[in-house]
Amino acid sequence: MSIALIFKGFFAHTLRELLSRHAFRLGALGLLSFAILWEIVSRSGWINPVMLPAPSVIARSSVELAANGELQQHVLNSLWRAFLGFAIGSILGLLLGVAMARLPRLHSLLNPLVQIFRAIPSLAFVPLAIFWFGIGETSKVILIAFGVFFPVWVNTYLGARDTNPLFSRAAASLGARGWRMLVFLILPAALPFIIAGTRIALGSALVLLVASELTGAQFGVGYLIQMSQQVFRVDHMFVGLITLGLLGFLFDYLFVCGLRKFLPWYGAENNHANGTRRMDGLKSGQD
Amino acid sequence: MKFPFLTAKTKDFPGSEFERSNCPRRDNEGQAIVPIRSVGGKRIEAAEGTLHRGSLDAGALIECRELAHVYHTRLGEEIAAVRDITLSIDAGEFVCLLGPSGCGKTTLLNMVAGFLAPSAGKLRLNGDDIRCPAPDRGVVFQDYSLFPWLTVEANIAYGLLMAGVSAKRRKAAATELLELVGLPHIGAQYPFELSGGMKQRVAIARALATDPAVLLMDEPFAALDAMTRESLQRQLLDIWARTRKTVLFVTHNIGEAIFLASRVIVLSARPGRIVEDIRLPENFRPRKRTSPEFNRLYERLAKAIGVEGTE
Repeated sequence: MSIALIFKGFFAHTLRELLSRHAFRLGALGLLSFAILWEIVSRSGWINPVMLPAPSVIARSSVELAANGELQQHVLNSLWRAFLGFAIGSILGLLLGVAMARLPRLHSLLNPLVQIFRAIPSLAFVPLAIFWFGIGETSKVILIAFGVFFPVWVNTYLGARDTNPLFSRAAASLGARGWRMLVFLILPAALPFIIAGTRIALGSALVLLVASELTGAQFGVGYLIQMSQQVFRVDHMFVGLITLGLLGFLFDYLFVCGLRKFLPWYGAENNHANGTRRMDGLKSGQD
Repeated sequence: MKFPFLTAKTKDFPGSEFERSNCPRRDNEGQAIVPIRSVGGKRIEAAEGTLHRGSLDAGALIECRELAHVYHTRLGEEIAAVRDITLSIDAGEFVCLLGPSGCGKTTLLNMVAGFLAPSAGKLRLNGDDIRCPAPDRGVVFQDYSLFPWLTVEANIAYGLLMAGVSAKRRKAAATELLELVGLPHIGAQYPFELSGGMKQRVAIARALATDPAVLLMDEPFAALDAMTRESLQRQLLDIWARTRKTVLFVTHNIGEAIFLASRVIVLSARPGRIVEDIRLPENFRPRKRTSPEFNRLYERLAKAIGVEGTE
């Protein structure tokens, strides 16, 4: 009986380990087979290889672009814009979200306005932003900030408005009042919402980054794609696309790693109950 | 809690209101008694009259006089949760508020905590009107209320942080309180890593951290399994013996009330009124649940509640 249990425990353990390594290997296998299939299709002659360059060609082109420093410049310019826009947009969203949640009159005053603005897809503002601010950095950063602002604002607002009354009662009975209530209760209690909003905003930031760069820039990944189209370098277009894919993946990954490191409690209540500590709950936006 | 459809719309002291209201510090001695707060948009005058400070019982820690609380439903109906509560609690007592579900015992506790405003009557702590929540009344809730974003230690030290106590003294206090509740090595853990019983013990430590005059406990063990509950009851008695805190403990469990209390106050069904107020002999401790005296008290309290021996 006990021996059987030990064996069962042992196998369950190794199986899990095997599975997690297995999952990694399977993922790598999936990527590799996709690349091989693509390579075959591209070289088979069924499709014009200029239209669909093989992965090996794209890899060579990206090495070339990286060697003369061009790719890095595109990436760095894009990252800087995205960072500036993201920082401005999310700080403003956070401030207005908290202010509107705590000041009902301000909420009544601004809510219809913000809701109407929110209903306009931010991409629709691209032409206007260029008309007003030119094709320089300003218009790009403003557009990204604009797109980032709304998801952060609406989530912060909801989180700061719907503080669990149990927590606010507990805090009040422990002496929290005024700004202390805000800083030590309402904001941390709203963190799950704020995090969810910020994660959505990360996606919007990339969309608006590319959209604003497509309209013209000196450097930038979106600009790289646009220019490559005009000079028929489909391989360079693919370099840009893959870079964007990797950047988006990397941002999200770093975001989750940061959460796990600095906010270990986030999402843990549910996952712990299931006996796992995976952060998958994040993806479904459980909040 | 028991009637969410009633309580959801009451705007007495929801989290957002009292924190902005100018809660006076406890220095309003001799101040004229004014309506504590308007309820449901209507100002309800507190009962005036010849009542003045200390008229009830000069030595009492908590005084209630003709205390009532009325809920307003969304249709504008008035429903009295408690009525005519006149009661005084001395320092050091362990008072159990016992009554059937929905009898208003939690409402009474919430008024003492300052979460709800009385609709009529007087409610005082140490001679001062209770107007809002304050750290002189530590609260342990039925639902797990530890802040999930803070470690156990930070949760316990929360009240001290609000009071501006230095980090070093906060840490020392948290360590001491963790010892008191018998969980000396979990300070660095987060609430999600604790079992239900551990969470409630940490909640007790958190409520004790500000050295309150009274510990208010709202069915704190109701969500726990029977064995954990009994163990926590024993520990609570131990903590009470060591700190000599005044405890106001809400429960609907007759056995729990007899096991813990030095005084049991039985409330009738809604609107809650005091139907029985029994002081239990202190020499009758530890209270064995199988002893004839325990059973005799059980029968008496069961009759007072109106359940006749069934639990």
